[in-house]
Amino acid sequence: MLILSRPAAAAVAVATQAERPPLARPAARPRAASGAPRAFAQALLPWLLPLALLALWFAGAARGWISSQVLPPPAYVWETLRDLVTSGDLRMHAGASFMRVGVGFVAGTTIGLVLGAAMGLSRRVEACLLPTFNALVQIPVLAWLPFVLLLVGIGEPLKYILIAKAAMVPVALNTLQGFRQTPAALREVGEAFGYTRRQQVLEIVLPHALPTLFTGVRLGFTKAWLSLVVVELVASSEGLGYLIVYGRQLFQLDLVMAAVVVVGAIGYAIDRLLDLLERRLNRHRRSAA
Amino acid sequence: MSERHWRSRLRRFVRPFAGLAVATLAMTSPAFAAPEAIRIGIATAGGGDPVTWGGSPGSVARVNNWLEEEFKPSGIKVEWLFFKGAGPAVNEALSNRQIDFAYQGDLPSIVGRANGLQTKLLMVSGARNNLYLVTPPQSDIHAIKDLKGRTVSIFRGTNGHLVAINVLAASGLAERDVKGVNLDTGSAQAALVSHGVDAAFGGYEWFQVRDKGLAKVVYSTQGQDPAFTRQAALLVRSDFEKSNPAEVQRVVDVFVKAAKWASEENNRAALFDIWARSGTPVASWKAEFDGQPLAQRNSPLIDPFIAARYKAVVQDALKLKLIRREVTVDDWLDARYLDVALKKQGLQGYWTPADANGRVPAAARPLAQR
Repeated sequence: MLILSRPAAAAVAVATQAERPPLARPAARPRAASGAPRAFAQALLPWLLPLALLALWFAGAARGWISSQVLPPPAYVWETLRDLVTSGDLRMHAGASFMRVGVGFVAGTTIGLVLGAAMGLSRRVEACLLPTFNALVQIPVLAWLPFVLLLVGIGEPLKYILIAKAAMVPVALNTLQGFRQTPAALREVGEAFGYTRRQQVLEIVLPHALPTLFTGVRLGFTKAWLSLVVVELVASSEGLGYLIVYGRQLFQLDLVMAAVVVVGAIGYAIDRLLDLLERRLNRHRRSAA
Repeated sequence: MSERHWRSRLRRFVRPFAGLAVATLAMTSPAFAAPEAIRIGIATAGGGDPVTWGGSPGSVARVNNWLEEEFKPSGIKVEWLFFKGAGPAVNEALSNRQIDFAYQGDLPSIVGRANGLQTKLLMVSGARNNLYLVTPPQSDIHAIKDLKGRTVSIFRGTNGHLVAINVLAASGLAERDVKGVNLDTGSAQAALVSHGVDAAFGGYEWFQVRDKGLAKVVYSTQGQDPAFTRQAALLVRSDFEKSNPAEVQRVVDVFVKAAKWASEENNRAALFDIWARSGTPVASWKAEFDGQPLAQRNSPLIDPFIAARYKAVVQDALKLKLIRREVTVDDWLDARYLDVALKKQGLQGYWTPADANGRVPAAARPLAQR
């Protein structure tokens, strides 16, 4: 782990933080001691900030604090959202985005897992790859664009590659981290039992690495979803990111806001889903141990 | 520490903010006599140092500091703001009251109007901008009709998009007959050079690519129906205009003077040099303005041609759903200030109004022609 360069270590630190967000699941397991009203209040807490923001939005729109063209009233955004749903446009745009993020995320995660595992299992591979890897991942997506454009043109592969790159980085770094954090005691047990290298990896290293690894996957999805707008900025005629760009182009900020709401909601929902999966995985592991 | 001490410290801390709030209110109040500054938003990133832009007679006033000189005695500052986000960003700035005047193309200003921006169109500033179809040098595309089934870059939601559709239609093609790809200017250039697209629609920015030997111009709107050209104009925010008519008049006066200078054929080389300061070379301006009288391209007149073009753009934009409601044009075009400026400078009759089809009456030809 000492070999981990600073950016990688920072990324891992972020990852471990994300693993246990203090505010994200306060309502998950109400303590048996607390009564029903207290649990209710606890469940309400996460909603305070969004509700306050929404109230601010309503008030700001009603009192004209901000130009209504720049921040349209919530009712108008809601109307646009409904139009998007009933016209089928939303399904078309969301479908295009899902396809892109789906392909890019799966490809990026696969590459990230392989790369991270290779580096995690072999110090030599790590020494060869990690410095270059760390240097390359510092370059933002937009800077890669012209280069990738020259290589693969402007079709869908361009978008897959950029999304895959975004997803791959946290997955690879977390996999590497996961593979390196096997407690010495467990390793010694394996050695004592005369485990082969294969057994060592499959029965000790991998199971122990799993939670960290999954955090990487979750983070990878967030990164992939976030890169959507940047990726759909270029050469797209459909997609949620495109909707944001196009809405701004046509000064229809209600369309932008509607798309932002959808992007936020979907991203949040999938993140919660992955979080649930992660917790179930951990519980399962704990009960198995 | 005593409570009193704390209170006085608090007061000392709060007071400047309260003062600031009062000052801000005073500044934004519409009843304020003269503006502190005149802010002009230009719908292009521009280039050079100081930043300027090309293709519009307005930049003649910019590089010569004519506006600054005009307003210096009155103690009014002139601010030029360049928007990399082009027309859409200028609309946002108008809406937020961050600018008072705007140099904008026809479609973005109509989009702004359709979304409720209150503006007035004061004068034309850069008319009849051409559109080109470019391909890689070895392409087998020789005319618009060859585009059928090919991959073509079109920057959707811009005035080039509208013209491209009309140009395609003139050759019997609909937008769905080509594989349209939505690319901005920079991406389109990268895509064409790497053969990611077979052809691209665009403006004078392509001449630089052509002159490097990386593209050829297959079609040009030069010498075609003037309805295929794009217009740009100077707009003012309506409430700024209402409270500062004298300042608006002085701004229009200066820009009319610039339009006059930019319409003199003797100044052609000097004008292109001024425009080249924005980063687009003289060769590009020579090509874009080739064979076209400066007095026609740089005329500030809101003539029947301009009115017809803006109305047609409204209809085209409606058809393509770029705007969601129809907007009126006649009550938006406001030539009052322009007329006063023309009279003041003895320029009535200097420019010849074109008819709705963009044609100049035969008798007036000698002046409009070179």
